[in-house]
Amino acid sequence: MRMWCVGLLIIGLIAFSGCQPSDKTTDNATDDTQEADDTQEAQQELKIAVAAPLTGGSAAFGEMIKKGAELKEKEINEAGGINGRMLKVVFRDDAGKESEAPLVAEGIANDKKILAVVGHFNSECSLAGQPIYDRVGIVELSPGSTNVKVCANSKWTFRNLYRDDFQGKFIAQYIDNVLTDLESVAVFFDNDAYGRGLRNAFVDEAEKIGLTLVASEAYERDTTNFKAQLTSIRAKKPDAIFISGLYTEAGLIVKQAREAGVVSQFFGADGIDNADFLTTAGSLAAEGTYITTPFLFGDDDPKAQEMAANFEKLHNVLPDTWAALTYDAVGMIAEALEKTYNPEAELAENRSAIREHLATIDTPEEGYKGVTGLTYFDHNGDTVNKPAYVKVIKDGKFVPAEKQLLDMK
Amino acid sequence: MWAQLFEQLINGLVQGGIYALIAVGYTMVYGIIQLINFAHGEIYMFGAYFGLILITVFHIPFWFALPLAMVLCALLGMLIDYVAYRPLRNAPRLSALITAIGISLALQNIARIIWSARPKNYPPDELPSLFVSGISMTGEVINAIPLPGGGTLPYRDVFILLIAVVLMILLNLLIYYTRIGKAMRACAQNATAANLMGINANRVIIATFAIGSALGAVAGVMVGLSENVTPNMGYYKGVAAFAAAVLGGIGSVTGAIVGGLLIGIAEAFGADLHSGYRIAFAYIIMILVILIRPTGLFGKATSKRA
Amino acid sequence: MKDKLTPRNIILCVVICSLPWFLFGIDEISSLLKQYKISFGWPGGDYVLRIIVRACLYMLLAIGLNIVCGFTGLLDLGYVVFYLIGGYTAGILMALLGVHYWIALPLAMAHASAWGLLRGIPTLRLTGDYFAIVTFGFAELFVRIVKNEDWLTGGDPNGLLLGIPAPRIPFTEFSFNDNWHNYYHIIILLALVIFVTYRLQNSRVGRAWVAIREDEQAAESMGINVGRYKSLAFAVSAAIGGIGGAFIAQFQSTISASLFEFWESIFILCMVVLGGMGSIRGAMLGAVILGSLGEILRLALNNYPKFAGSRYLIFGLILVLLMRFRPSGLMYRKK
Repeated sequence: MRMWCVGLLIIGLIAFSGCQPSDKTTDNATDDTQEADDTQEAQQELKIAVAAPLTGGSAAFGEMIKKGAELKEKEINEAGGINGRMLKVVFRDDAGKESEAPLVAEGIANDKKILAVVGHFNSECSLAGQPIYDRVGIVELSPGSTNVKVCANSKWTFRNLYRDDFQGKFIAQYIDNVLTDLESVAVFFDNDAYGRGLRNAFVDEAEKIGLTLVASEAYERDTTNFKAQLTSIRAKKPDAIFISGLYTEAGLIVKQAREAGVVSQFFGADGIDNADFLTTAGSLAAEGTYITTPFLFGDDDPKAQEMAANFEKLHNVLPDTWAALTYDAVGMIAEALEKTYNPEAELAENRSAIREHLATIDTPEEGYKGVTGLTYFDHNGDTVNKPAYVKVIKDGKFVPAEKQLLDMK
Repeated sequence: MWAQLFEQLINGLVQGGIYALIAVGYTMVYGIIQLINFAHGEIYMFGAYFGLILITVFHIPFWFALPLAMVLCALLGMLIDYVAYRPLRNAPRLSALITAIGISLALQNIARIIWSARPKNYPPDELPSLFVSGISMTGEVINAIPLPGGGTLPYRDVFILLIAVVLMILLNLLIYYTRIGKAMRACAQNATAANLMGINANRVIIATFAIGSALGAVAGVMVGLSENVTPNMGYYKGVAAFAAAVLGGIGSVTGAIVGGLLIGIAEAFGADLHSGYRIAFAYIIMILVILIRPTGLFGKATSKRA
Repeated sequence: MKDKLTPRNIILCVVICSLPWFLFGIDEISSLLKQYKISFGWPGGDYVLRIIVRACLYMLLAIGLNIVCGFTGLLDLGYVVFYLIGGYTAGILMALLGVHYWIALPLAMAHASAWGLLRGIPTLRLTGDYFAIVTFGFAELFVRIVKNEDWLTGGDPNGLLLGIPAPRIPFTEFSFNDNWHNYYHIIILLALVIFVTYRLQNSRVGRAWVAIREDEQAAESMGINVGRYKSLAFAVSAAIGGIGGAFIAQFQSTISASLFEFWESIFILCMVVLGGMGSIRGAMLGAVILGSLGEILRLALNNYPKFAGSRYLIFGLILVLLMRFRPSGLMYRKK
């Protein structure tokens, strides 16, 4: 008596989810195509998934990721697709939640048409999805997870951006070697995987090279008032404040810091590279802020400039780091597909062929030249050799800093 | 040292004023229908967006946009009550809590779909210049009172505190000296008896929602002025305000105000002490207060059943 | 507990036991049909199985929360703290200290249970929403601790704990890697928990809990030691949370602070209330519905990418509607 309805419900649930026509074409324009067309089209179309936080607390980043992927998809398809086949990007929402990421991963892994995954954004989500991608054998190429250990334990996980430890070290060395008049630094970090990981790396390096660290304060993601922490940072009189966090909060931090009478130099990582940072902070408050970034939308990189222009045309906003990284990640997968896809082969073979291809991109010569610079992987699947550039905010615009630090110790 | 503590006190007070404005919405609704209105944080968020839309899209001057946002939010609060909570008046108390959570989820996602998840700011050009503080070309902080120790108190924050105080006084006047206030108190004491005395309980409840939501809208616009507007802005401040309402004794308007200020100050000092535990300090204070006074600072004993 | 070996129960047992193979069978059929160009949109057996395992985990947690919320009538807004304690206890023991899962599981349970008691002592005299907010504050404190004290969790930020190994059957090389292993694993845990809670509910203890819920003072004057029974409820409820935590730690193999946020408490509470407070079956039903609703909506919306972002909007509206039409919970019967 006590269990029958539960059992029934479980079965009902299976039946219900079984009834969903889950794999029809996802394009609205072709919604009314017949079953026969569907299969035919499926043969022409190469499907990859982008797993990102489209809802929830990190949705602002998911939006940019989606936009970046959409632009690349459009460009590839307008240029004739991949060997005559259209690229189809489907989006899967992990809500930025570690509890949902495995379900998203399992759904993708079980989808017989998806060849590779671009995602996830949060390091926790990438790691939570990893065991499933590993088991099934499908590439997970993250455009957003920076935690040091994301790629270490899996041969299927790659990423095309810096690790926390690289960037933290870079910023510490840049402050030490280039901005030599700055002696004492404070860190103001997002108490989350990204901000805290970056801060740990920065603090380690700062101690090693003898920068004086006067304060290290935390804030919570999604909070909007930082006055209390800024007041206590100001009391320590740091020459520079490194904001280890994302632009959503960093803009407010800079604005509120200036109001609270903080005169220090601000420094930020790639998490701040977004036009919204400037609008939130106000260009006067943000003036002189240094930012590291994997790429410059400067004069010397026509490719990035062109991408930025197309992006703005399509979406009416400027691209940020993640949009660009996703754009490149989709590009890399597309390139892999172009070289390896075999319509006769089994799904698993095609999936692992992508992996094999990505694994061969391990020298600068074979690297993928995208808008975010040259990407190639080490044996873990990490991108550690991407050069970091420094931008500075001048007259309300991001411009390349005069002095770059190109060879790091 | 003292200058810094003083500045933290001010930081806490300004935050606390906002918490108090939100907490009043929680506590008023709770006082009358014993519902923890989890959707209140989202109403506050909508208030901020209403203000933003009125100012940026319709180019309505700030001083008209603020009351308009209040009215819109009051309507939203009334609508929610009418659609979602009214059918559950006689249901177990926790059922309405689930409805509130459902509404909160729905509102958050509606906001995200309409206005996108990227944070938005009130445009400085369209605001009264008094509220636009920040550094000027010469590097001085404008529109702000300098504090000892190097910090400043922007006029905007003074305004936030002032408006919080004024609205709280008005609210107390309303509750103690008007007919509707009397009816509210009657319903809070005993809804059945009040009904028998000829008070239309539903009207009182809807008025409560309207007032609470309007105050939430003020808080939303104030936060929009000094911080930014995102679809999930309701979460942190909403939860802190809820804690404030309980700390003060849920159901008591004075309690909500005192609780809000206390939580704000505890947070500011907490951040000074150990910033990783900033909000945790507020919760510790709250837990301690409740353990010492099991009905909050100003509360009366509540219903025992969950 | 009267009907034991009825045909229906036997069938149910068989269905539950053979469920994974049934799902994999559909997998086979689906790939067979595919050769004839027929596709009926089966999302994949492993995927469905994973949804079921997660729903079962939520069932476990909902049953645990139901003990405090449903039986003793106290609103607990911080149940996730025991899930967290269980998860991190098991995770740290297994990933950092190399302890075997079958030892870590009871330790996680005991640890969570101890915190349940500790939390219970000062809150015994609190009622209603004051109890609720203290439990909430308590849970938030633990999340902050996990976030800030990363020396405790292996040094990675945000309480990230990686590489929690899958449990191995002692003296063999067989470890629980696949979804179907975890399915049987959670089913056994769930059966144990259901058995224990049923026995408790129908015992002197259960009757004492209900008496406390209905009227604490009357219960006290009838000679029920309110403090003791409440503490027992806290301990049992926390222990079940601890089991859930230990399970999720090995199931996900990665845990972090973001897995245990306030929303999770609320989510489990929703399941309990939705099913009908104080009913074990109700809690399970609520858990099945809410635990799988998100994924069902995802599957349904995958065809309409325009609306994919409104998944949680629809989720919220469904919550509102369910409460609107079954205000006392789905399993509520008029007494």
